Amino acid sequence: MRSFGTNEFLFVLAAARWTVVLALIAFSLGGAFGAIVAILRISPFAPVRLLAAGYVQLFQGTPLLMQLFLVYYGLGLFGLRLDAWTAVVIAYSAYAGAFLGDIWRGCLQAVSREQWEAAHSMSLTYLQTLWLVILPQAARIAIPPTVGFLVQLVKATAVASIIGFVELTRAGQLMSNATFQPTIVYPIVAALYFCLCWPLSLWAQKLETRFRVGNAIGAGI
Amino acid sequence: MSRATRYLAAAAAAIFGLALATGQADAQTLDRILKEKKIRITAQVDSAPFGILDKDNKPTGSEIETARQIAKDLGVELELVQVTGPQRIPALLSDRADLAISSLSITTDRAKTVWFSNPHGALSIVIGAGKNVNISGPADLAGKKIGMTRATLEEQEVPKIAPPGTNIVYFDEHAATQQALLTGQVDAIGAAAFLITDLAKRAPAMGITSKFTVRTAFYGIAVKPGNMDLLQWVNTWVFVNKHNGVLAKIYETHTGVKLVDLPSM
Amino acid sequence: MTYVFQFGIVFDQFDRMLVGAWLTVQLAFLALALGLAVAIVCAYLRTTGPKPVRWLVMAYVEAIRNTPLLVQLYVIFFALPGLGLRLDANGAALAALVINFGAYATEIVRAGVQSIPVGQIEAGRALRLTRLQIYLLVVLFPAVKAVYPALASQFVLLMLGSSVVSAISANELTAISNTLQSTTFRAFEVYIIATLMYLAIAVAFRGFFAGLYWLVFVRGRGR
Repeated sequence: MRSFGTNEFLFVLAAARWTVVLALIAFSLGGAFGAIVAILRISPFAPVRLLAAGYVQLFQGTPLLMQLFLVYYGLGLFGLRLDAWTAVVIAYSAYAGAFLGDIWRGCLQAVSREQWEAAHSMSLTYLQTLWLVILPQAARIAIPPTVGFLVQLVKATAVASIIGFVELTRAGQLMSNATFQPTIVYPIVAALYFCLCWPLSLWAQKLETRFRVGNAIGAGI
Repeated sequence: MSRATRYLAAAAAAIFGLALATGQADAQTLDRILKEKKIRITAQVDSAPFGILDKDNKPTGSEIETARQIAKDLGVELELVQVTGPQRIPALLSDRADLAISSLSITTDRAKTVWFSNPHGALSIVIGAGKNVNISGPADLAGKKIGMTRATLEEQEVPKIAPPGTNIVYFDEHAATQQALLTGQVDAIGAAAFLITDLAKRAPAMGITSKFTVRTAFYGIAVKPGNMDLLQWVNTWVFVNKHNGVLAKIYETHTGVKLVDLPSM
Repeated sequence: MTYVFQFGIVFDQFDRMLVGAWLTVQLAFLALALGLAVAIVCAYLRTTGPKPVRWLVMAYVEAIRNTPLLVQLYVIFFALPGLGLRLDANGAALAALVINFGAYATEIVRAGVQSIPVGQIEAGRALRLTRLQIYLLVVLFPAVKAVYPALASQFVLLMLGSSVVSAISANELTAISNTLQSTTFRAFEVYIIATLMYLAIAVAFRGFFAGLYWLVFVRGRGR
């Protein structure tokens, strides 16, 4: 009978890189997406604001697993031939975009109203104000909760295992099934996630105390 | 709120609009596969002996080998699309895989959704449990907790024979179902007989055996509805490899059992 | 080939999905009640307990907050029986949700507790309230009020996160959707309906908590 040894541990460890890669890609694409959402959310045009708000509501009001199912099963029905990676990346980027968009909107709005008015009186345009005055200040506030969200994103990638995407959790499950030693395998999987997430969490906390802003208590699951 | 709802509705309409715009007929699938020199076939690696990871954690098993043989005979590269049990059919429908070769039993219900080739293997669904569990027929299932995997033949068949008072619970994939049996979370599981034999071999302490057979079935290769050209080629492949003994050899190597005579549709 | 949507098959089973949605609501509220109790005790120990206890609570909170719910679920359902602790699927699902929500809520409640000015506690002492009275009335009540929005949004996340418990055969909306998906093969239609149901529950929860806030903290303020 096969038991959980070095070979099995290395398989699980190697799969952890897909967790990291997926989280990083989703973070980058979701970040770009989230930036657009955040800026649209504070746009002077109501329909644009509402559309962005609807998008955030939709993704924050439905389970990630369902979003994943819909993208995974759904897009193919429309004639888009996507491999598993692309489908998963799309789903996670859209998810990250909604959450980051919401976090960053809060940061943009935290910059006081007077700043806008001051910029306006200096006859800066809307975009100039946003780019030169508001964004630099908001970015400072945004760093701690953004790092906090990265932790949430790393953990969220575990859900992709349910649709058979081989990352840390799925690798653990396959090894647990091959060795029949779940009592050893799952705590190891949990420990590996902890090793990935804890340094980020500590970093987020440190940034938060340094910037003395907001609360990075950060909701998550 | 009503405003938000309206925008949600608008967004949904936009998505469906996109759907209509992009939902067009596939070109000839076989041509595409030959042109791209790549075929995508489902691989379920938690379902021994059909598909499992070997000691080096590479996919192996009778269905994986069937997939490799098909790619070889087509002269194209093989891309294994890892799926769990319930995704075998959705993987085809959502165009994630060209073929489903994952011990997919041929049933009339499934045939409403995908198109089957002639069968290339046979399996039986049994109730498997440890030596301490007293089950000899369907009546004994009453009061017991029976685990099985969703979207499988057992999910369809076991409830039909289970007496009232049977507690059937469903998992999303074989790995979880098997672990539930081994960790005592369920009393017995419904599964392919081969899977039970394999499980018994890999976890000898529990003395797992097949308690009784629920149904026997033939399994085939499935394609997305409409992929007539690909299906025709697969049927030809099954015919040829039935007669030259390749199918029987793959089957016997992995299951340790002689392949029965395969009927044709 | 163009996919033909068939929502009819799914609507035939709509009542089963409603039952699933109700199970999800029940599971979430049960986990909320128990998790909140865990959080209040842990936040108390974390702020006033002896050092080893504080460390223990901190370890619990950090361990849970830095690992995925799904893995916590697998540990409880698959790994613990090996150590002699067996919970059935629904029990394991509830335990995982309580432990998970408890950890997040501990941090949230603690932040609220620490936002209470010391003067307020001293005032409580001057009024000769007992330690427990001070904690409950002077500290906890305003603390929960301060962090109420964070708690409410964490609760919605908990409800949405509960969709993964179907992986260990626990029974709720996603589990029933998965079963329907596998019997009708109409994955997309089933999951669209399920997603809309989750959205409706999330919206209803947010409304419920806004109402509760008003009832407890706004209207009840005069008392």
